[in-house]
Amino acid sequence: MSKFNQMLEEKVMPVAGRIAAQKHLQAIRDGIILTMPFLIVGSLFLILAFLPINGYADFMTRTFGAAWMTKLLYPVSASFDIMALIAGFGIAYRLAEHYKVDALSAGAISIAAFVLATPYFTMFTPVGATKAIQVTGVLAFSYLGSKGLFVAMIIAILSTEIYRKIVQKNLVIKMPDGVPPSVSKSFVALFPAFLVLFVVWILRLIIENTSFESLHNVVGQLLQKPLSSLGGSLAGALIAVFLVQLLWSMGLHGAAIVGGVMGPIWLAQTDANRLALQAGHALPNIVTQQFFDIFIYLGGSGSTISFALMMLFMAKSQQGKQLGKLAIGPGIFNINEPITFGAPIVMNPLLIIPFLITPLVLVLTTYIGMSIGFAPKTAGIAVPWTTPPIIGGYLATGGNIRGALMQVINLVVAFAIYYPFFRMWDKQNLKAEQGQ
Amino acid sequence: MNILLCCAAGMSTSLLVTKMEAAAKAEGVTAKIWAVSANAVNAHLDDADVLLVGPQVRYLLPQLKKKGLEKGIPVEAINPVHYGLCNGVEVLKFARNLVGS
Repeated sequence: MSKFNQMLEEKVMPVAGRIAAQKHLQAIRDGIILTMPFLIVGSLFLILAFLPINGYADFMTRTFGAAWMTKLLYPVSASFDIMALIAGFGIAYRLAEHYKVDALSAGAISIAAFVLATPYFTMFTPVGATKAIQVTGVLAFSYLGSKGLFVAMIIAILSTEIYRKIVQKNLVIKMPDGVPPSVSKSFVALFPAFLVLFVVWILRLIIENTSFESLHNVVGQLLQKPLSSLGGSLAGALIAVFLVQLLWSMGLHGAAIVGGVMGPIWLAQTDANRLALQAGHALPNIVTQQFFDIFIYLGGSGSTISFALMMLFMAKSQQGKQLGKLAIGPGIFNINEPITFGAPIVMNPLLIIPFLITPLVLVLTTYIGMSIGFAPKTAGIAVPWTTPPIIGGYLATGGNIRGALMQVINLVVAFAIYYPFFRMWDKQNLKAEQGQ
Repeated sequence: MNILLCCAAGMSTSLLVTKMEAAAKAEGVTAKIWAVSANAVNAHLDDADVLLVGPQVRYLLPQLKKKGLEKGIPVEAINPVHYGLCNGVEVLKFARNLVGS
């Protein structure tokens, strides 16, 4: 192993390992995954509601009545709009699992604590009235979705930490011998649940007397807003992509490591666009999860689908031809480990150059394309990252052909950057093959 | 023999599963081979005789090795070159050596 490699193994690997293994980050990452299937189901309905086809809305109104869209969006509320509830449960569950305490109880306590932190009223302006009135006895969807995501994350972690400390210290109500174990087990959660709810209750009472009014506002103002503006900026996107590529250049799954930290921010950004789409407003965010998955990482981290196509159709070396055949299938679904480890790109000074540069350039082209209105912003539709290019761009922008066009442009740009490096790589291989 | 593979999402390891299954068939080895995401490993570890980790998530190796130790099964990272070229024959051989069969 060269000195450089050895340095990487010794310095970078433990740091990456620590970030990935940090139990709270891990719980957040694994817990949020629980929302994904729901977001994808919700997205299907979202796409159907906003198909940009001329006359589609009129046709739907004629066929299903004026309220067709409201009804079509019912499942969206049961998926996107309760994202924080699902994530809060998932995060508490995964963290409790890590501590080897009852995960189901931890999840339930976390949900109760989250609800306790949420206002029980909403403001409503009746028809004809000029002032909004307060309607009590309701939980507003707006607190249970992406806007409540950070509150849910914090509460899930705090409540589970309290829960496991009490259980591990054995400060639980013990039933006398003879009581069936399943009965006594149900009492284990009693004291921790009381303590968690008591703490959140006091917190709520205090915050209600400040100008923040609710815990949601505190977290929104102090955490979610600053984080989103940082992670959602062009500079933030470039830094994130640079780190992902750098880690991948060493053979580490950069997207999993960086995404573990940035995931919640990008998810909230994604959903802000979805809410704007439903309300008929202009989409606020360019940088979302789909911005990276669909527009930058064409064929996987490093935007390598162009490289795979070159190998398949233009390689003269045997290695290039064979790797092209092996890599193109998974590459269409944005999986590119055969290329990164097979070419290899990892630890290969020649190929690391386009591997680093291409996604950064694509961030710029996509960001510019979306800000000047050439390409539509992503519409908050949770397209899975395995969706093939061109289809992905069409779906992520709510069925807009210019979304697909933006991907085609990015493919061409990636092709142009990779091409000279591909040529050199192929020539080297050919020489080695003929030399044998 | 039950061989469990894991990577970030269980996607690229599943490519390798197909090749390893073909290799096992060719060699007449009966093996159950499957791939999961790193966060799902816990739920599958009980059924596994060996856990092979994709090289791109080898930073998880220390914690996965600890889990393997608890269950008494070997846990190792897959050779990057074999991984990239989806070399089912070599990875199967590696798994069998680890289990010692």
